[in-house]
Amino acid sequence: MKKLFRAAAVAAVTALALTACGGGGAATNPANVSPTGEIKPREISWLLSRPADGAVINIMKKLADDYAKDHPGFALNLITTPDRPSYIQKLETLAAANKLPELFDTDATPFAQQLAKQGKMVDADKLLKSLEIYDDYRPGALDYQRFDDGSLYMIPFQFELEFIWYNKALLEKAGVAVPKSLDDIPAMCTALRNAGITPIAIDGQDQWPLERYVAYQPFRAAGPDFVQKLKKGEASFTDAAGQKTVTWMAELGKAKCFQDGFSAQGYSDAQNQFTSGQAAMYNIGTWELPSLATDKLNPEVRDDIDFFTLPTTEGSVTSANEFVSPSGIGMAVNSKTYDPLVSDFLKFALDKYPAEYAATGALSPTTNVQTAIPANATPLYKKALETANTLGDKQAMPWDTQLDPTTNGRLQQELVLLVQGNITPEQFTKTMDDAIKQNAPKFFK
Amino acid sequence: MLPNRSRTSVLVFLLPPLLLYCAAVLFPILQSLFLSFFSWNGISDMEFVGLANYVRMLTADDIFWRAFFNALIYLAICLVLQLGGALVVASLLTSLRRGRELIKTLYLLPAVISTVAIAFLFVRIYSIDPVGLLNQLLHWVGLGSFERAWLSDVNTVLAAVSAPEGWRFTGLYMLIIYAALIAVPKELEEAAVLDGASKWTLFTKIRFPYIRPVWITTTIMATTYGLRGFDIPYLMTNGGPGQSSELLTTYMYKTAFTSTDFGYASTIAVFIVIECLVAVGLILFMLKRKADS
Repeated sequence: MKKLFRAAAVAAVTALALTACGGGGAATNPANVSPTGEIKPREISWLLSRPADGAVINIMKKLADDYAKDHPGFALNLITTPDRPSYIQKLETLAAANKLPELFDTDATPFAQQLAKQGKMVDADKLLKSLEIYDDYRPGALDYQRFDDGSLYMIPFQFELEFIWYNKALLEKAGVAVPKSLDDIPAMCTALRNAGITPIAIDGQDQWPLERYVAYQPFRAAGPDFVQKLKKGEASFTDAAGQKTVTWMAELGKAKCFQDGFSAQGYSDAQNQFTSGQAAMYNIGTWELPSLATDKLNPEVRDDIDFFTLPTTEGSVTSANEFVSPSGIGMAVNSKTYDPLVSDFLKFALDKYPAEYAATGALSPTTNVQTAIPANATPLYKKALETANTLGDKQAMPWDTQLDPTTNGRLQQELVLLVQGNITPEQFTKTMDDAIKQNAPKFFK
Repeated sequence: MLPNRSRTSVLVFLLPPLLLYCAAVLFPILQSLFLSFFSWNGISDMEFVGLANYVRMLTADDIFWRAFFNALIYLAICLVLQLGGALVVASLLTSLRRGRELIKTLYLLPAVISTVAIAFLFVRIYSIDPVGLLNQLLHWVGLGSFERAWLSDVNTVLAAVSAPEGWRFTGLYMLIIYAALIAVPKELEEAAVLDGASKWTLFTKIRFPYIRPVWITTTIMATTYGLRGFDIPYLMTNGGPGQSSELLTTYMYKTAFTSTDFGYASTIAVFIVIECLVAVGLILFMLKRKADS
């Protein structure tokens, strides 16, 4: 038995040593975006986190089939995990095992930045420029994918705008108007509650929707830099902008802005509350246009639905046309497996993608195509698309893509407690500042 | 059938399962032990930190202790529901003349439903907006003041996520205990009844001592399952609100796969292994002492 134990221990150590060695190596130069040599068709894989039957996947499948006609033996294997937390786990595990496929999705997270620093991702800035399509992209769509230092390693496939959708009839019933300032919202919630209406429907289970709210006040008060400093410990929740958002979140909770028991309710629960006319407001992006701005929307509320963009505040440093406008999770190119085939396929696919994508009624991350408005759209559809043309230069970044993962997890938990009134703003401030102090140095050294 | 069952042939046949066991159970445990002395996020270089992870876990991590005590409460609720519930139902079942099979099947049913389905089912049952089954029932019986968002209330959420896990396996343990109870010799019971033993005496002096070996096994099974409980709390609340329903297992999982702190997560994993071993040791010790006395 003793022998066996020793053998197992040796095996464990050897296996670990081997994986540790494997983890370090990146084969090719990430800046070399135009590899030379013969194109040898083979099967390549894309690990992605997008809806299985969504436009991106359907179009890329079709483009891959077209490409395979001229390049027999080529195939694009799409492995999707739409549930984001599960996807991130899969990605991180594969990255740890050094088994990432040719293409993989990621946000501009601190983890992705470490991968980029290790030379595991192809420089997308150079790649797009070498394909001569860089200038076609909306600057905002590329900016969303950039790391803090301005470097670009992910290619966007979407462009979305986040609005606060509202039900005109319910606002009228409660005698309130569209808020002019973020600071008007708590009072608005109280009025709506007094009229027996749920003010805001929110998907609490997935946690990112509530985390959006915490980003709003600092974006207005201090601009997009605040979170970039906060995550490194250079700014804190005790700062003016930090305190503003903490007290505002507590006020939202006190005014009972979100539906009762929101923390256990999911994405479709929240959407149903809004589309069935029970909740007055709902904060969601243009990816929901097919359900909110077409005849698929419940006819009883169809004429009452409208949207407004993120309200400003007094002394706001960002303007009304600047808010959350993400270009979705981006696609990174693995530098280790980057060869003439991957390069040639990307050239083919990225060139044809925008036209196909715009034809589905979605906003392309490029400006060289016109989005087709579906036949069953309500007038809101056009209004939403047109908002994209008047966007400002700055955008509010979702905090879940910015903070280190441990601090992010803690923030998501503490936010629920703050809004539910289980902890005081002071406790929240202290817990979060301590969490950042403890966890940020590991990720941002 | 082997013509000559030699020592060697027995060993040859035992070797593959043993190797499989080592590869699937012992190796990961040893690997966790090894990793727990490192700081490693999966893609960085592994950095040897000695006992720093253990020091952090035991002295500086408020969530760890919260999760540990939550896990104990979770275990207690699961054990009461599973073992207590199982014993009561099994005892009642033995006195039933008809419909035993039907009731057994009904009680066993939750054990074969997928965990994900159970989690979703209970999220609906506990819901307040729209009103779920539990709040509706309270309203009907006039206990409207108890209506609440069970999964959002920090005071009720832990019990609320423990109950489904307890409910789920009550049927399974009931079946095991029932099988043990019907094996109690009728002569013994009849003799005791003739001597004037009450129902309670019959149970404590005859039946329970007779099923003790089975009871020990079920207790160990239920305890280890309870300590490893993960899926239902993770699916229903993801440990929230705050850390109110965070268990050691969910915390370990998040530390590993969300925070990518594999070294520290391994430290928690090692703690869970030790905790399970200690729990089993305690049960054996206590029940043995009771049997001896």
